[in-house]
Order: sequence, then C-alpha cells, then structure tokens
Amino acid sequence: MPKLKADRISRRMILSFVSVVCAVGIWYILTSVVRVIPPAFLPPPQNIVKDFFRLLANAYVGNTLIGHTLVSLEIVLGGFFLALIIGIPLGILMGWFKKIEAVVDPLFQLLRPIPPLAWIPLSLLWFGIGMKSKIFVIWLSAFVPCVINSYTAIRLTDPLLVKAALGLGVKKQRDLLREVAIPSALPIILGGVRIGLGAAWMTLVAAELLASNAGLGYMMQMARRALEPSVIILGMLIIGILGALMAWGLKALEKRICPWVKEEEH
Amino acid sequence: MGRLGETMLDRIYQEKLVLSLISILGFLLLWYAVTDLFGLMPAIILPSPEKVFFTIYEKILVPVGEEKLFGHVGVSLVRILVGTGIALGLAIPLGILMGWYENLDAMASPIIEVLRPIPPIAWIPLAILWFGIGLGSKVFIIAIGVFFPTLINTYLGVKFVEPLLIKAAQTLGAKDKDILWEVIVPASVPLIVAGVRIGVGLGMMCLVAAELVAASSGLGYLIMLGGDDLKPELSITGMILIGILGLIADRMILGIERRVVFWKKE
Amino acid sequence: MNGNRQTDKLVAQNVSVLYEKDETSFLAVDDVSLSIQEGEFVVIVGPSGCGKTTFMNTLAGLVRPAKGKVFMDGEEIAGPSAERGVVFQQFALFPWKTAYENIEFGLKYRGIPKEQRDEIVRKYIRLVKLDGFENSFPHELSGGMKQRVAIARVYANRPQVLLMDEPFGALDAQTRTIMQEDLTEMFMTEKRTVVFITHSVEEAIYLGDRVVIMTARPGKFKKIIRITEEDLVPDRRNLGYDEVVNLKEFRDLKGEIWGLIKAEILEKHIL
Repeated sequence: MPKLKADRISRRMILSFVSVVCAVGIWYILTSVVRVIPPAFLPPPQNIVKDFFRLLANAYVGNTLIGHTLVSLEIVLGGFFLALIIGIPLGILMGWFKKIEAVVDPLFQLLRPIPPLAWIPLSLLWFGIGMKSKIFVIWLSAFVPCVINSYTAIRLTDPLLVKAALGLGVKKQRDLLREVAIPSALPIILGGVRIGLGAAWMTLVAAELLASNAGLGYMMQMARRALEPSVIILGMLIIGILGALMAWGLKALEKRICPWVKEEEH
Repeated sequence: MGRLGETMLDRIYQEKLVLSLISILGFLLLWYAVTDLFGLMPAIILPSPEKVFFTIYEKILVPVGEEKLFGHVGVSLVRILVGTGIALGLAIPLGILMGWYENLDAMASPIIEVLRPIPPIAWIPLAILWFGIGLGSKVFIIAIGVFFPTLINTYLGVKFVEPLLIKAAQTLGAKDKDILWEVIVPASVPLIVAGVRIGVGLGMMCLVAAELVAASSGLGYLIMLGGDDLKPELSITGMILIGILGLIADRMILGIERRVVFWKKE
Repeated sequence: MNGNRQTDKLVAQNVSVLYEKDETSFLAVDDVSLSIQEGEFVVIVGPSGCGKTTFMNTLAGLVRPAKGKVFMDGEEIAGPSAERGVVFQQFALFPWKTAYENIEFGLKYRGIPKEQRDEIVRKYIRLVKLDGFENSFPHELSGGMKQRVAIARVYANRPQVLLMDEPFGALDAQTRTIMQEDLTEMFMTEKRTVVFITHSVEEAIYLGDRVVIMTARPGKFKKIIRITEEDLVPDRRNLGYDEVVNLKEFRDLKGEIWGLIKAEILEKHIL
C-alpha cells in the first residue's frame, strides 16, 4: 500500500545521506585509521582535499590545477565547436537532399564503426604532437553524432507539417528547410550535440593520456608515474564534474531553445 | 512483382546502391591516386591501399610484436568479452534490485551518481596503477564502460514496467518475490538489452583506449605501434579490424534484441 | 445500507477515497456504503471520472480508503488477493506469455500440479471460444480475443469475487454484444460474485442483478435499482441481447437510469 509521498522523499534523502557518509567513513577508516590499504594504492580522502588546495596554488608538472583545466577545456571546446559548425549543416543537407546523402552516406557508414580514439596514432603521425592532432580526433568524435542526429532529425520531419507549409504558400526548398524542417529537428539535433560533447570530452582525456604535455589527462598520467594516486583521483573528479556541468549547461540551453519539448527521464 | 511491375521503391533502392558503390569506388580510387599514382603523400603519412592490403596478408602469417594478426584479434576479443561479462553480471542484477527496492536505490544512487560522470577512460591511470599493464587493467576499464549504461537502462526498465501488469499479477495471487521474477524481469528486458547495446559500444571504445595507452598486444596496440614505428599501414589495419569487430558485436546484439523483444510493437 | 457483515460477501462501510496525483489531491469517493451478496452481479454506472474505478480498487485491495473499511467474508481487506480477481479495461495481459501461459499464470500460485493446470486452462480456453489460439501471443490477437484471454485468466483462477472494470470498453459494438452474452452464459453456468463497471446503461441493465448509479465526482451512490429482486425486466437472462433490449420494460428502465446520469452530467457541468 503506497505511503505518503512526503514520507518517502524524506526517508530517501536520509538514506542517501547516511549511505554517502558511511561510504566516505569506511574509506577514511580503511586508509587512515586502520591503514589496511596503502596510500600508494588508494589515498585517504583528506589527501585528495589537501592536494586540491595544493595544486590550486602551486604548479604540478608545469601548470596549476586551473592551468591544466583551461588547457583541456580549450582543446575540447575548440574541437567540439568545429564539429558543430561542420557536422550539423552536413547532416541537415544529407537529410534533406537525397543526392548528397547518396554520395556522402556510404563513406560515412564505412568510417563510422572505427572508434574516434583509434585515429589518435594516425593523427599524431599527420599533425605532430601539438594541439592540431588532438583537435582533429576530438572534432571527429563530436562530428559523428552531430551528423547522424541532424540527418535523422531532418529525415523524421513530419510530412504533414511540410504539406501544411506548402499549402500556406512556401515554395522554395530553402525556405521549407529553414521554416519547417530545421526547427522541428532542433530537439534531436541538440540531443546529438549533447552526445557529441560527451564523446569529445572522453576523447580529449584519451588524447591527453597518450600524447600531451599539459592538461588534466597529462596531469593524471604524470601522477601515475610519480605514484601519487591522490592527484589522479583529483583529476578524475574534476573531469567528472566538468563533464556533468557541461551536460547540464547544454540541457538548460536545450530547454530555452526548444521549450516545446517534453521532459525525458534520461 | 514481375519485371514490368518493378515498383518505384525498387528503382530508388537500385539507384542508391549504384550511387553508393560509385562513391566508395571513387574514394578508393582517390586514395590510390593520391598515394601511388601521383605520389602526393609519402608512404609514411598515408600508405596506398595495396600496401594496407598486403600488410594484412603478411601479418596473418608473420607476427607483429608478440602475436600474429589473429592472435591480436583474439587478445582484444578476450578482453572485451571478459570485461563485458563482469559488467553485465554486476550491472543487471544491481539495476533490477535498485529499481525494485527503494531503500537500496536511495543508498546506492548517490555513490553511483558521483562515479558515473567520470569517463571510463579517465580511470585508465588508476587502473594501470592498480593492475599493471596486463589483462586486469583492460578488463577493468571495459567493465566500467559497459557497467554504467547497462545499470541505468536496467534500472529504468524496472521502474517503467507498466504498473497495470504488476496489479494484474497481484490480483492473480503472486507475491512480491514472484512478481519480481515473473513480471518485472521479463517486462524490463527490452530496455536492458538496449542498455547492453549502448554499453558494449562504449566498451569497445574503452578497449581501444586501454590498448592504446598501455598494452603489448591487441588491436589497439597494433594501431599504436603503427604510429610509433612510422608504419601507418599497421595502424590502418588495426583500425579496420576494430571497425569490423565493433560492427559484428553491434549486429549480434541487435539480432538478440529482435528475438528477445518480439512482443514489443514499435 | 449496512448489511450484515457476517453473511454478506463483500461489504464497503463508509468508504472515502483520496486520489493523489502529482501536486493535487481530491476526494474521489465520498462516504459510500454497499453490501454485496454471494453470487450477486452488481453493476456500477456513472458519468466519467465519478470514482467508479477508484471504488472498485478499494474492493480489490489495490487502494486503501482514506476513511471507512472494506470487508470480505467479515474480514477487513488488507491488500490484493487472488480471491478478488480483476479484469482491467486495458487487458493487462503479459505480452511475453502466450494466451495459454497467461491463463495459467494464477494457477501456479495456487499450488495446482501441472496436469491439472493443463486441464483447467484448456477448459477455459474452450469456454471463451479461443480454441486454436492458445499458443498465440497477445500482440497477435484482436482486441476481443485479448479481453477473452483476460477474462479466462481471472475465471480460471476461480476467485470468489470477480471485479470487472469496463472490460468491454475497448471493443467494437458487435464483439461487445457477443461478449456480454457470453459473460451472462458463463455467469449462469458458474455463479460467482461479480462487480462490474460500465459506461453503458444498456450493458448494466442486461447484465446486473442490481445497478448502482454513482454521482459525479466526488462519487456517491445516487440510486440503487434492484432489477432481479423486483423482476423489472422479465426473462432477461434467457433471451438474446437484441431481444432483451427491445422489451418495453428494458427501454423504460434505460430511460430512467440514463435520465439520472444525464442530470448528474448537466448539473455538475462535467462536459
């Protein structure tokens, strides 16, 4: 029999809170008090906090925490926006004009199964170890979902809406595209943008792990060599938080651009 | 449909097929022209198509690093299978239990929500610290990649089970435990399988990433080696094989999805 | 209205039900009382949203009343039970199970061994005229067939009380008539206690021993008409549907009941 809603919510919050406290507590006890786990393996929670403040002020492998973060963000956003600028229009054109689709699609499908990460060594070979190679791979990883979603979104344009527009006097393809297809496709396109951002972020981390001399991934890689897992975990948490913030920001943007869309659970 | 009754659909399909073939052939020709015919690209940057082809042929017989070509494929395959297996074995039961028991949900959710935004690739340095560069670290990363999408989808699958079905079962005499097995699990299968599909896709990316960063065998290793040794044909070989592997995995799961979800009308 | 708790099958005593949805909550059922005898066929009619389904859910044990109590055989109802089977309007068949497996579902929890279950399932497949379709899945069946599986599923479980919530609402008119006749036939063969909800006044008069007319939300009982007790429509259950519907008594009764409902709709501005 269902209980009162307010009861359930407060009970849930209490349980969640207790659970987190217990988890951190156990972590603390096992690493600091009982010392069952060596600090080189899993650092005590307070070390991570200490390192956070330490790295804010002092440089670590060449840059402070903020410095590394900015380097990473710069590259990710650079590649990401490039992907948007090229990928979304291309997807839209592919979706609307069958000829373009017929030419571009097979190539696209051919290259699509290859994970963008797999392009990293080739990219390094072509562009050297600088920013260009990283931006290329990041661009690639965001490019694919943008194209696919834009393409799908346009293809799914409600023919009824198109007929309505034609009936109201819209004649040119260009106008139909602009007035009907693209607006109705926006939610799915934005969904693709969100996926692209996530992919770009992931690829950035991988690229920085492999070949970089700055950035959060580089920082983590160096920390590993120096056997400082607390810095690694710090890096992981920051990457996670940044990723979540960006996703959340995009969602908020989505709601403003497409206020007519219903809420989805995931 | 006799010859004369060839429908418009058939003709469009044929036209598309022809255009696709032309497009791919054009691409291959362009590739060939740029590399071999006109020598515009040094072999170090972009090898010609036949070079790639012969490399594949050669490496089937002659080992690269520790294994021959199929050995590398096998190693990668083992990693992805073990990692996926572990992840599914944990994520699906946990997802079901979390979806069904609110208390468990309240306790586990916060911890999961903190760990989830961290891209699996960001775990690599920690994984290497913990497990070295053997099978363990790769399996760990892949498992993380597959775990979260599967967990989320399983959880949602349970939460979104049609409440009417649960009521029907209750009025037919089933108790809570029975309902879990007889109604909840079968009803959530569609979403679970969808989650597995997403998870495995992610797992493949994690495989590549882990093998790029720290491995001495496997397809990712091949790709990395090609870059290091200035033999891009090796990289391309690895990329093609990974692409094929990914495609096969995806199609297989799609096939399973179709058989298992036969009762869902789309 | 308070019958004898001890001998009546199903008793609702001053039941009020609060309906909660998101932020709002309102009174769906307002202080109703009803006593149902064993073997009686009670039909509840009323305007849309009047609380018929909510009331039935309290009888089923799926909803707990905010005030008042519900009893079965003198004991308070604490939750859903196989003794109070429910047939839902949207069928609620398990889509991954065949018709046979759906019908078999409840029997397992009664501890009935395999061979006996098989006998029972086949008997009810025959009873609802679904021979040949026992291995079909719900998505392969038409609406009428699905509802027949739903009815067979509950019937086969032999609950003491059958609660049916607009079971024929989703069917077309012809199928509906056939199902009504079938149900009456089944009811005459294997008498159970039935509580039946419908929008259709015709259906109510055709099927019910008693017809309960509910007011608009919050639902109360406006009037209860004892059809069988007062023999208001003679020979009702021995004639076919089309014959009964044309009897003068039937038409008069229909007019009366419909008048009451219509008044409710107009008064409370439901439309």
